[in-house]
Amino acid sequence: MKFRLLGIFSVLLILAWHTLDGLVEGDWGRLEGGLANLSIFFSESMWPPNWSVLEARSYPVCDEKIEFFCSVGYLGMMETLKIAFVSTILGFVGAICLSSLAARNLTPLYISIPIRVFLSAVRSLPSLIWAILFVIVIGFGPLSGVLAMTFYTVGYLGKLQYEVFEGMQNDPLEAGRAMGLSRPSIFAFIVIPENSNHLLSQLMFMFEYNVRHGTVIGIVGAGGIGYYISTYLKFLQYDKVFALLILIFVVVVLIDLLSLMVRSFVNEEGDVRKPTWLNMILRAKAKRNASANAEQSFSSNVD
Amino acid sequence: MSDGVVLTLDGLVIGYGEPLVEPISLTVEAGEIIAILGPSGIGKTTLIRTLAGLVRPLSGHFDMDLDGRGNLGYIPQRLGLVRHATVAHNVALGARCGVKWSKTMFQERKERTQDAMRTLGIEEKAKEPVRRLSGGQQRRVATARTLAQRPQLMLADEFLGELDQDNVDTVLSAVSGLVNNGTSVIMVEHHEDNVMDFATRIWELKDGRFLDASIEEWQSKSDLGEEE
Repeated sequence: MKFRLLGIFSVLLILAWHTLDGLVEGDWGRLEGGLANLSIFFSESMWPPNWSVLEARSYPVCDEKIEFFCSVGYLGMMETLKIAFVSTILGFVGAICLSSLAARNLTPLYISIPIRVFLSAVRSLPSLIWAILFVIVIGFGPLSGVLAMTFYTVGYLGKLQYEVFEGMQNDPLEAGRAMGLSRPSIFAFIVIPENSNHLLSQLMFMFEYNVRHGTVIGIVGAGGIGYYISTYLKFLQYDKVFALLILIFVVVVLIDLLSLMVRSFVNEEGDVRKPTWLNMILRAKAKRNASANAEQSFSSNVD
Repeated sequence: MSDGVVLTLDGLVIGYGEPLVEPISLTVEAGEIIAILGPSGIGKTTLIRTLAGLVRPLSGHFDMDLDGRGNLGYIPQRLGLVRHATVAHNVALGARCGVKWSKTMFQERKERTQDAMRTLGIEEKAKEPVRRLSGGQQRRVATARTLAQRPQLMLADEFLGELDQDNVDTVLSAVSGLVNNGTSVIMVEHHEDNVMDFATRIWELKDGRFLDASIEEWQSKSDLGEEE
């Protein structure tokens, strides 16, 4: 079995290599000096990051006591977070309505199939294309960003949700049906509570995803920190771009940690009391004290 | 259907593709307690699921004379509880089915939920997620759900399961309360002893045959069998 798996992976690897070779038409010379180029570009244009993006802009005049709150980094990031938050919530609500109709164990096929096709169509356009469309339709600004991200969220989250609903155990649904609960009641009082962990986890994932993609849609004029990145790129101010990228990285890591914490409250494992840093340290200290006491009593017994 | 009849089976043939038992024709009166007995895999669960409307009969039909939607209680073999929701939420589902739309609906649902939890001794666990409860406690939650529903006909598939004698007594006394108010019960039971003092009628499924007997007939038949 192991050898067969190894054989399959080897064949896939060789196939991938041949495909790549075909794509670059055998011109591997391009890679020559790539690393040196990257090193020069990084050291001369990007490093050190220009932290002036976290200082107040010269215009408009800053009214805040702390300058940071008037900075490009803060304002751009806040706008991205706001776009991500609004579009995640609106998208989640839209997705949950559609996914309840798309799940085959909850709705007849003649309803679920058209809804699935619709969700696939919405999902097939990446958020960047949605952003371009909305910038064309309603102009530059965060509203285009919100609408673009909302549409993408509906498509993406809708699929994740109906797959979770379809994977749930059938017996609570059957009990609800036999007892005479209506379809909306079954969905609201059986399906949603039973899958709440997954839904919350998907919600957090989507928020994090929208924050990351919110930076990209800004580049086409749909608001957020991406607008500033795009501007700095145009003026070849790569050190400022690098500073903003670091800021985005920090925010994404923080959201990831927050998501981890929120999900830990609703996981199956959430039933078990989790160790905290504090009680781990205290326990280690208690253990040390206990062993010291044991040693002391042993030595006194020997004496 | 005549007065007091809640269920009529007319040439009902159950199974998945192939018939499991001979055609069944009979009626069930209000307040009857029927225990379905028979070896594993003979079609007891299929019969209950067919009556619950979850499996189509191969032929024949059955009619339920119930006062509208929400008057059929059902406890599946795996209990059908919402594991991530609280005990109170699960019990309230029964009340939601059983209480019709009215001004006092919310109050009545609340009262029925609390009454059912109190009767089955799970009031203290009201706010705990069902997944944290033991198997026996989960069975009591499923029973409380039906109790809060107060259905006219209750279908239960091995709901006494692995309960100890004390719990069996608690659950059966709660179901007796329902029966006293006119509920009919059809229950699949693996352990004959659990239901001998409780059931009024036995349906036995054996070798593709269906036997319908009152509890007295069944007991005398069993006594004869032992003597032989």
